[in-house]
Amino acid sequence: MTPKTLLSDNRMQAALLLGPALIIYAVFALYPMVDVVGLSFQKWNGLDANKAFVGVDNYVSIFTKDPVFWGAFRNTVIWTVLSVIFPPLIGLLLALGLNQPIFGRNSLRAIFYLPVIIAPIAVATMWRWMYDPFFGLFGQLLTQFGLQSWIQDWLGNRDLALYSAFIAHLWQSVGFSMVLFLAGLQGVNKTLIEAARIDGAGRWNVFRYVTFPALKTTITIVLVLSIISSLKAFDIVYGLTGGGPAQSTQMLALWAFTQSMQIFDFGRGSAISVVLLAITLAVVVPYLRWTQKREEIEQ
Amino acid sequence: MTSILNTVRMSAAACSMLLLAPTLAQAQDITLWTLNFSSQASNDAMQKIATDFEAANPGVHVEIVTRGVDDHKTALRVAAGSDKGPDIYFSWAGLGLGGEYIKAGLSLPLDKYYAQYKWDDELVPAAASFSKIYEGGRQGVPFTFKGEALYYNKGLFEKAGITGEPANYDELVADAEKLKAAGIPAITFGGTVNWHVMRLMDVILEAKCGIEKHDALMNMTASWATEPCAAASFAELDKWSKNYILSPFMGIDNAQSFNLFTAGRAAMMLEGDWLVQQLSEAGNLDDHGVFPFPTGTKRLYGFAEYNYVSTKSQNPDIAAKFLDYFISTPVQQAALGSFSTTSINKNVVYKDLRPLDQKWVDIFNQHDQVFMNGDQAFPLDVTTEYFRVINEVASGNMAPADAGAALQTFIGNRS
Repeated sequence: MTPKTLLSDNRMQAALLLGPALIIYAVFALYPMVDVVGLSFQKWNGLDANKAFVGVDNYVSIFTKDPVFWGAFRNTVIWTVLSVIFPPLIGLLLALGLNQPIFGRNSLRAIFYLPVIIAPIAVATMWRWMYDPFFGLFGQLLTQFGLQSWIQDWLGNRDLALYSAFIAHLWQSVGFSMVLFLAGLQGVNKTLIEAARIDGAGRWNVFRYVTFPALKTTITIVLVLSIISSLKAFDIVYGLTGGGPAQSTQMLALWAFTQSMQIFDFGRGSAISVVLLAITLAVVVPYLRWTQKREEIEQ
Repeated sequence: MTSILNTVRMSAAACSMLLLAPTLAQAQDITLWTLNFSSQASNDAMQKIATDFEAANPGVHVEIVTRGVDDHKTALRVAAGSDKGPDIYFSWAGLGLGGEYIKAGLSLPLDKYYAQYKWDDELVPAAASFSKIYEGGRQGVPFTFKGEALYYNKGLFEKAGITGEPANYDELVADAEKLKAAGIPAITFGGTVNWHVMRLMDVILEAKCGIEKHDALMNMTASWATEPCAAASFAELDKWSKNYILSPFMGIDNAQSFNLFTAGRAAMMLEGDWLVQQLSEAGNLDDHGVFPFPTGTKRLYGFAEYNYVSTKSQNPDIAAKFLDYFISTPVQQAALGSFSTTSINKNVVYKDLRPLDQKWVDIFNQHDQVFMNGDQAFPLDVTTEYFRVINEVASGNMAPADAGAALQTFIGNRS
């Protein structure tokens, strides 16, 4: 087989095109993932030349001796539940509103999307100042309205801090859901909508029986992406509270980072990462398979 | 024949010298890994010292490699696991991060050089004391030494009827009570950076436990669960957070805390000697005074930054010679103010000092013993738990009586 005929083979072309990406993926994604699993069974502080094999000690330690792990687990679950509900819901409402022929529609779309392109750490810095109980925006506004007693230690009160951080995350992430829903709305068959209206369907029924079913694929994508991004929530919490006060806003991803890169216990950090990976796979894989099957049945 | 043999010998010698020349030149090279300091004056001073050392020692080349804090830590970890790395590296003193590198064998014991160069005759004792806290010999040479004490707002003290600096812990609490009665928060902290509130716990622990018990607790040889002074210290921390600290404080950082202090919203701040410059820049240096936290133990609260000679160094003698040059009186005199308000060299002469700087020089001269910040004293994992327990108590979520047991449980679970 000559090189020319070899290159004309479709499978060879595909291999050539995919090859570089696969190599990069293997080196920078697959290898670290496998390495992290291996590290989770070892004790290593990043200094010693040798990594001691410790079996499941790291897992036993994080499950039974770590005073922070279960709090981080709980916070990650809360964050995920909130992320699955609020950004998609508000994003959908914004998309529905901005899908109407209103004045300044494109500008409004850009404005609502703008926070998405800001680095999360910058968002965290901005919101940290707004939450400042002495000099912050919210404190000033409440003072102006004579509501000083409502001023809280938004990021310092353990009962509020996680939710305060989530509001900042919501502000940043809602634009992403909105854009996906807007894209989905462009695919809704206008003929069906007009037919429904001719049949006497009101706004709600048009949405319920025409628009919503047409958005199911988009909803699936938005929800799955929301779950994935919320499980690995890190930067906004790191920038706003650093996991505090007293580790009360700690998240699994942030705790894995803290164990590995600040405490330099790479074994425990890796064990937490593996737990997080397992949770992510346990949630995402069945959900994807279920939606895939459902779509196949519908088709 | 003889002349031919001589020619061969000379040629061989010349070749050997030529081959050896790069090795000799290389043997005179030392590398120093340090931080990329936020102050350009510090970076410039460091470079000037290296250049001057080279001029005074022909054939020696000092390469200074600077990195950000996290990059520096990572680079040192990589170096520790390989046979390459710097001849001298910067790190903090104490059993925390600096201690981990020493424990991992990255630092060369310097007893020989301390004796050879008589460094103890030049170093401020409090600064040099950190070199003695490790097993296996003296480690590192001081780079800077930072003392921490209570800064106070003279006007607010006067308004509360406080006429002098407190001589002991009880008097300090009495003053805090006077301030509270006058409607003035006694002290300010920023809780988001864990180490800020930690300082209050550190000094209370020293005051309540005394030297021996304090050190036993920080070395983890005494039990936090059963030592009564540990429980008493957490109870005091609880009292301060409920009564005397400007609230809310858990959601602000040390920078915001400083703004509140300079705005006169609180009467005191537990800070290091570096605050003098910050107060000066804020424009109200004369409104403030400073006194050591009255622990009653005569030890100064502080921490040190050190330069360590690496065990990987091929030229430890030159590295030690450079450190000797660095801490020498003329060099430190010339670099005064570049790295810190005060020098680690006790022979440096201070002239035309601002009153607060002079006060710090006096404080340093009055103390020959120190106790260090908790995050420098504890290993990193215990530090993280120490932060958590302190913050739980300070924010009212953990009973002071339970705090010692929580910390001790963590210490006991360490493998």
